[in-house]
Amino acid sequence: MLEGAVLARCPSCRNTFSTDRAGHQLCPVCGKALVVPEPAPAPPGAPEADLLEGPGTPWERRAELGFWRGWAQTVQLALLEPGKLFASVRLDKGPAQLGFAVFNISVSWALGHVLEALLLQGQRERLRAILGTLSQNPDLAPALQRMIQAQMEASSPGWVIALALLTPGVALVFLYLNAAVTHAVAALMGQAKRGFAATFAACAYACAPLVLLAVPACGSIVGIIWVIVLTSIGLKITHRISTGAAAAAVLAPYFVLCCVMFLAMGSLMMALRSAAPGAQGLP
Amino acid sequence: MIVRAGRPSLHAVALAGIAVLLLAAAAALPLDGPPLSLFFCPFRAATGLPCPGCGCTHAFHFAVRGQLATAFWCSPLGTLLALACAAHVLWTALRIAGLPYAPDLQLTRRTRWAAAATLAASWLFVALRNGP
Repeated sequence: MLEGAVLARCPSCRNTFSTDRAGHQLCPVCGKALVVPEPAPAPPGAPEADLLEGPGTPWERRAELGFWRGWAQTVQLALLEPGKLFASVRLDKGPAQLGFAVFNISVSWALGHVLEALLLQGQRERLRAILGTLSQNPDLAPALQRMIQAQMEASSPGWVIALALLTPGVALVFLYLNAAVTHAVAALMGQAKRGFAATFAACAYACAPLVLLAVPACGSIVGIIWVIVLTSIGLKITHRISTGAAAAAVLAPYFVLCCVMFLAMGSLMMALRSAAPGAQGLP
Repeated sequence: MIVRAGRPSLHAVALAGIAVLLLAAAAALPLDGPPLSLFFCPFRAATGLPCPGCGCTHAFHFAVRGQLATAFWCSPLGTLLALACAAHVLWTALRIAGLPYAPDLQLTRRTRWAAAATLAASWLFVALRNGP
């Protein structure tokens, strides 16, 4: 079985046709028997040529397409035709892929924060008032009071700018941790067939739906779910593995991430509940 | 196995940077103060059993201080991860400095089973250590 369809030429009628398997078969034009040879194996030690043969994604070709056009076409392909995008990935373009993910997340996050500040000003003020009341509660643990105070300060313009400057670094760390854990799980399952670069490419381009971070309120939730689905599709294509194996490798780190988020939110909820007046007297 | 190699890739350097961050955080953050003291494991809270990652924070904390036996007691998996982070940082630094060799990990079926068994053994160790 070949990795994909190849063009073969019939020695009898000289017509070319497309086939996805090697070995004995009949020419679809003249009906005569012919043999399609297996592709020659790569010499040992040589770089895997097929890793470098892809045309490259629009972002990887942004020098010829232009920066914004390359970015927009890559996001469009990721959202609407992910199979086509991941099939065109070049695994030697790691820095470009890293740049795409970091740029995409940083700009979308900053834009989302500005829009949220403009559109949800009323709700923010109400939340600030609630947090302000809570932080003055003497029953609240000092650590929690500091956390609430930090949360209130985090919405000030100075902090927003500081966080915007930190976002590229956070995005980079998130991307590499996600890729490392996904690759480790895939390797443990024997599905990391084309190295870390393939996993990284899948994880980087799967960050395209995070443009939805720019949409206030629900954008981030939709974006994150889309990222999980896209990572799975990307892993399947870049490593050439089955859908089940790709899904298992992708979902494992998110299970861990869910645990961490659960952990942070649960800690905060329990601390708030224990500090609430009258909580101890409830049946 | 060690093979001849050129300068480390961008991915290797970036992963080394993140490993440095993890080790530095383990060295700087106190276990009994926020934010680490605020965390609890939801898996353990729900089931009473530790998750595979339970004890890793403590293991990193003690491993960066050179207390490997205590770290191992907290979590064998966490200790191995901390040592792997340190080894990767050191080797990447040496490769940047000009060392022309790199490890070439061949993931055979046996290696994968060994890794899975190590993970399971670490989990069992932590579960039994915390048992009645």
